[in-house]
Amino acid sequence: MTQRPVRRSSWGALFFFAALGLCLGSGVARAQLPATAMGTGAPDQGDPRVEAALLTDVSQVKPGDSFRIGVRFRMDPGWHIYWKNPGDSGLASEIVWDTPGTTVGELQWPTPITFRSPDGFITSYGYGEEVLLFAQAHVSDKLTGSAQLSAAADILVCETRCLPAQLMLTRNIPLGSETRPDPEHAPLFDEALSRVPVTPESSGHVVTLALDTKPLTAGRPFTGTLTVTGPKGQPVPAVEKDFFVPERVRGLARLALSPVEGKPGTFKLEGETAPDVPEQEPRFVGVLRLGPASVGRPSLTLDLPLAPVVAAEPGAAGAAPVVKPAPAPKPPAVVATAVAPESSLSLGLVLLFAFLGGALLNLMPCVFPVLALKAYGFTRTVHAERGKVVLHAVAYAGGIIGSLLALALAVLALRAGGHSVGWGFQFQEPLFVAAVAAVLVAFALNLFGVFTVGTDGTALVEKVDSSHGLARSAGEGVLAVVLATPCSAPLLGTAVGFALAAGPATVLATFFMLGLGLALPFCLLVLVPGLAKLLPKPGAWMERGKQLLGFALLGTTVWLVWVMGGLTGVDGMARLLAFLAVVGLGAWLYGLAQGSTGARKAAGVAAVVAVLAVGGVFSLRFEETGPAVRKASAVGEAQPWDEAAVAAALEAGQPVFIDFTADWCLTCKFNERTVLTREDVQAAFAEHRVAFFVADWTRRDARISSKLAEFGRAGVPMYLVVSPVSPDKPEVLPELLTSDTVIDAVRRASKRMADAR
Amino acid sequence: MKSLFTAVALAVMLPVVALAAETAQVGKPAPAFTLKDESGKEHSLSQYKGKVVVLEWTNPGCPFVQRHYTAGTMQKTLAGFDANKVVWLAVDSTAANTPDKSAAWRKEKGFSYPVLQDPSGTVGKSYNAKTTPHMYVIDEQGVVRYAGAIDDDPRGNKKTGVTNHVKTAVDALLSGKPVPAATTEPYGCSVKYKS
Repeated sequence: MTQRPVRRSSWGALFFFAALGLCLGSGVARAQLPATAMGTGAPDQGDPRVEAALLTDVSQVKPGDSFRIGVRFRMDPGWHIYWKNPGDSGLASEIVWDTPGTTVGELQWPTPITFRSPDGFITSYGYGEEVLLFAQAHVSDKLTGSAQLSAAADILVCETRCLPAQLMLTRNIPLGSETRPDPEHAPLFDEALSRVPVTPESSGHVVTLALDTKPLTAGRPFTGTLTVTGPKGQPVPAVEKDFFVPERVRGLARLALSPVEGKPGTFKLEGETAPDVPEQEPRFVGVLRLGPASVGRPSLTLDLPLAPVVAAEPGAAGAAPVVKPAPAPKPPAVVATAVAPESSLSLGLVLLFAFLGGALLNLMPCVFPVLALKAYGFTRTVHAERGKVVLHAVAYAGGIIGSLLALALAVLALRAGGHSVGWGFQFQEPLFVAAVAAVLVAFALNLFGVFTVGTDGTALVEKVDSSHGLARSAGEGVLAVVLATPCSAPLLGTAVGFALAAGPATVLATFFMLGLGLALPFCLLVLVPGLAKLLPKPGAWMERGKQLLGFALLGTTVWLVWVMGGLTGVDGMARLLAFLAVVGLGAWLYGLAQGSTGARKAAGVAAVVAVLAVGGVFSLRFEETGPAVRKASAVGEAQPWDEAAVAAALEAGQPVFIDFTADWCLTCKFNERTVLTREDVQAAFAEHRVAFFVADWTRRDARISSKLAEFGRAGVPMYLVVSPVSPDKPEVLPELLTSDTVIDAVRRASKRMADAR
Repeated sequence: MKSLFTAVALAVMLPVVALAAETAQVGKPAPAFTLKDESGKEHSLSQYKGKVVVLEWTNPGCPFVQRHYTAGTMQKTLAGFDANKVVWLAVDSTAANTPDKSAAWRKEKGFSYPVLQDPSGTVGKSYNAKTTPHMYVIDEQGVVRYAGAIDDDPRGNKKTGVTNHVKTAVDALLSGKPVPAATTEPYGCSVKYKS
């Protein structure tokens, strides 16, 4: 730092001083600065309040080389100029370059200081005393002679009063065979550079921003939390006063950070959106000073996405007694990503989606065992009691619809209790998984003939009593629903997502339509006369077929055991298997008791109850394992989903693929195994440097539930492809993936990035 | 006696009203005020109900204000409006301002509207006025519809294509349309409040 010269009282004195310097040769470098490269401005009763000098960090430059160019401003004591965001008042300093043959890059702004009016009402940002605003410059290798440099500076110099100043500074830098640093000025540039804020990435800091509410509402305040972690996780130091300087952000009226007491590196964010809905989602942009640069603490330049801004509802929240209808608020430019089109679904369309989704569920792998079972049951019934076919169909549909409505009521009850639930949520509950597995095992053992249901165990097929048959049909309907929930069919996710966000009547109506759709194939089988007759005639094959179906159910049980493993770990799996063994024992004992009568039968049933109770108490204790025990995903290089990590990947220019999945979601597993792990898909991921994230919803996770809800979904699977160019507009892929869908989406995300360059 | 009572009541109530209304926000009712102009005449915001009111925070000592008055920005903008529908009030919240200075400034620049005297800064702060010039447009019902800069040319170096935000806002209000940009960043000197 050179010592601050005394204030000169006039141009004459300046020239005199400069001439004196030249004559005496008091400083070689100072002497080299031509008079045209220096200027003064903001004359205050004839006395300039600022002086400026056009500096470079080289005294000679080789064509094709780069150097630094800047304007140094020195202000009188008490006077200041402004940062790129001047704050409440003032005017950003501006430098316009005119440098033929030399390109000058973006102006670098050292971290500013904060000025406040004595009453604290007006805050502005800028520089007092001395500042060097500089940029990188590159000399064309075709340039000869010398590089002509000129800078027009437009600044506002304020104390209490404000004085505008326009300065024109010019000089030439000789070109030569080598670039020679300017020994006096190069250190000034180094010093200024050390004061320029750096990105968190380059300094190893991790910055995350969590808003308390999303989306933001125009003209309303919002809050959030910003956390900063130092390199290698070390804590950031406590900050000093005026540590944060916001940039001017379109769409925001206010942006302020305050440190959270006792938690270094944690800041409370308070902001307010402008009354207009901005065309683009506002970002959080500003400079965070972690400490004085002199002790090696950098300032960080922050640029984080906020959230979309939507218009306030007209007439809401304290609107004035407006007699004339207030001007219609502009329709929100872009409402929260993909929610807009889906939320605008009409109820009719949602019900149609629910119906079609329910019908498609029949083709999903989870419902298939029941489908087979039902086909078997119908084969028997259709030929045995033609008149009752319709009744059976009604019972089956009734079982489906009844249990779906029960599910809807459960959802509503949970929602009323403040829980966030989604399609398939019950599979996040270990006891539910255990119960379904137990029912399946019992069902299988029944098909194997270990015990019989409802009759005395003789002549089962012949003595099908109609009421029992109907109850069984209804039960099969319930089982279809139980098994269908982990499969989210196309359209279904949309419909249920919409319904879960709507009122109780809509929820019930949607689930009702879903049930009708699920029951549709069998209703068709019955209502279209010719179809039922196409089924094969009953015979001895039916007994073997029945036993075969038992194994299909055991297969489903294997899957549930695996789900339990994801939920509760190896111990949980073992406990479930133990419980299932107990269930098997119980079924066998029950089968024995069925063969006897009187007291022996009663004792048998009591033994069954005792065995189940004791076995249940000892085995049904599932402890959810911590989230640390995560399995490797089916897809290589996958990272657990995290908003901050996604933001970091996008920041680094990588397209992002997010796989919202769950162990109990067969559609998800199917997609992962048949599409996402395919070689061509993997090759496309590698080619476009896709960051692959897995959001695992096997267990309850409010973050994932709310993310799904953001896209109008209530369950998994959901696939998002995000381009770094438009991080706020992810593309949502269909529930059933094909490799082409995935590859095309990834290409688009990557291409948009290439286009934007 | 009765008028004295009213005056005392007003004097006591005024800051309370201003506080109650907090600060001016676009879309909300404009904070009420009663201020004397440079000739001692009282002006209340409420008396202009039914008209569009433009408030201009001003300070003759500010170079930005001087530039606009030399170029006639404010005068010409007002001249473009229907005088029966639009009222223009300058407000000077500069602590060191006096009615004489305002009168001399008005005479020098030859504009027609009054300069309201707010040396205590109460009204200025209730409007969150930070710069000179800082402009507010209030609709016929007394709701703030625009707050911000006079135009989009902070440096005064645009040759063409300058958008006058106040003109845009007032024109929109008079034709019953929503104001296209309800807020802009004001620019200029800071308001020199009493401290």
